[in-house]
Amino acid sequence: MSEPSRGSQISRRSWLLAGLAAPLFRARAADSLAVTFDGDNLHIASPDLHFLTGKPLRRLTDGGTVVYLGRLTLFRDPFLTPFRRTDGRFVVSYDIWGEDKFSVTMPEPVPRTVLLPASAAEAWCIENLAINASGLPPDRPFWLLLDLRTVPRKDLSQVLGDSGINIKNFFIEFFSRQPGTDDPQWTRPAGPLRLADLVRTPGRGKIG
Amino acid sequence: MKYAWLGCLLLCRLLVAAPQDADVNVNARYTVESVILSGKGWTTNLRSETTDKISLGLRHQLVALIGQKLNPAGLDSLAANLKKELSAREVTHRVVRGENPEEVRVEFEVKPAKVSADLNLDQFVYDSAQGWSGSGAAGLTVGQHSFSVGLVSDADWLNERYAGFRARYEDKRLLSDRISFRFQVESYHDQWNSSTLAALAVHPDLTSEAYRARQNFQPTVTFALAKPLTLEVGARMERFENEDPAAGTVASDALITTLRFHRRLEDSDSQQDLDADCSLHAATRALGSDFVYSMRTAGMRYQFHHGKHVVTDNAWTGMILGRAPLSDRFVMGNTYYLRGWNKYEIDPLGGNRAVHNSVEYRYGPLQVFYDAGAIWDAGQQATPRQSLGVGLRESAFSLAVAFPVRSGHIEPIFMMGILP
Repeated sequence: MSEPSRGSQISRRSWLLAGLAAPLFRARAADSLAVTFDGDNLHIASPDLHFLTGKPLRRLTDGGTVVYLGRLTLFRDPFLTPFRRTDGRFVVSYDIWGEDKFSVTMPEPVPRTVLLPASAAEAWCIENLAINASGLPPDRPFWLLLDLRTVPRKDLSQVLGDSGINIKNFFIEFFSRQPGTDDPQWTRPAGPLRLADLVRTPGRGKIG
Repeated sequence: MKYAWLGCLLLCRLLVAAPQDADVNVNARYTVESVILSGKGWTTNLRSETTDKISLGLRHQLVALIGQKLNPAGLDSLAANLKKELSAREVTHRVVRGENPEEVRVEFEVKPAKVSADLNLDQFVYDSAQGWSGSGAAGLTVGQHSFSVGLVSDADWLNERYAGFRARYEDKRLLSDRISFRFQVESYHDQWNSSTLAALAVHPDLTSEAYRARQNFQPTVTFALAKPLTLEVGARMERFENEDPAAGTVASDALITTLRFHRRLEDSDSQQDLDADCSLHAATRALGSDFVYSMRTAGMRYQFHHGKHVVTDNAWTGMILGRAPLSDRFVMGNTYYLRGWNKYEIDPLGGNRAVHNSVEYRYGPLQVFYDAGAIWDAGQQATPRQSLGVGLRESAFSLAVAFPVRSGHIEPIFMMGILP
């Protein structure tokens, strides 16, 4: 069954809500996401987003492990109703004997580890948060929201040694709670965008 | 078979998909070179030094890190245990480069609590010959200053049952880390056993009269002369209220000095502790004392730990010259000295000469001990006595039956409770 015809139109109310919601994300033009499309998935990049900083960085340089949970949500309206989301878990540590290199492990779906300088490690995490664009009409506007947080120390054991259903449940619970005042959080919005306008990167090819 | 393969696949999936911290922290490939423990004004490198600040078990856990691959997740739980044992505000840890490549140093930093309050049960013991004895205190620590107030009812330590309160103030850093100051106040009401009163009637000149209450004021300063050696210097000012209020009070004012030595030797699977002390109390008329006497004591304790085996030898001797009040005379036949004997039977007035040795062996919680000693007064013949005992001891909790070794009937004494 095809989408209702109003799908291609954005109501004035939606635009108004988008206008109101945008300041909530503390979004400036320079802070928004760069989005590309490979024919299947939407990929994001945010060169100005630096999360290996502050307290988490101190914990890392002290030899500890910091786990970042990232969530990329796709909206077909201005950040009101999530249409699809993807979650990513990044386990980061700082190589004490390395030359300013960070080890990043992404446990799912297949564990992968890289050893990179800070900005490259940040970029690698963001790049790995791709979201499937199937079902999204090429000329219909959509919005993306990136939410990245560190897991508090007390919850580390839950995310380091767990997998499958438990980690999925943890994601649901974790992103539904308000971050504490000491828990860093980074959000980046993007949109309105249209698949047809996006830069195509090598991938499967045509959409639809 | 199908299910077995499925099980294997699931297990592999779990193993692959659930990395532990040791697998994902890049520093887990490095070897721990040393473990440093530091706090305000102190640092201990556990590779070459030892510390009494933490329990033996925790120290072993920390020392066990040395030479092993780093386990970053394990450091969190060790920091939590340190925080608990040291009542610290916070214990943080960091991993830094070691002296050699591929080796790292683990540093724990202890941040002391600004204010902490605690409630302690110092002693709670039942002796089938003497009944119950107990003492407890509530304490408050603000930085280097600590205050405590406690209640005591004790029929074990002396030849009197004394009940009352004691309060203590301590400044752990008086001008320097090496000097501490303590002021203790005690006030007790006393009850006497009929054997003691009868013996006093026979030997009125040996010691003080029975008193109904006593107070003690004791300021002391302790100097850490060298790491294992401390010297305590102070005064002990006691007031005794006569049974007859019309008779007023008498005073015993003494200068006190105690030299203490503690040494611990450790290797990978055993530990040896050596404690020694000697003290001198001197009460003179120049200090306004009604009693003139000097008391000298010396003690040595050696303990050897190897796995679950613990062997302890505790030797002690004391001598009083002059006429000391009842509360300062030596007592045996309690839960510390000549266990199994009844103190009122041995010497209801205590003695001014004493010598004692105790050998104890423990395997886990099982305990056997052999006590030998003598208590007498100058000019009398010393009578050596011995006792044997068996029991259970776990941490401070003790349950024991002790038998005096003598000809004739055997009358065991049952002891249980919390002993320091």
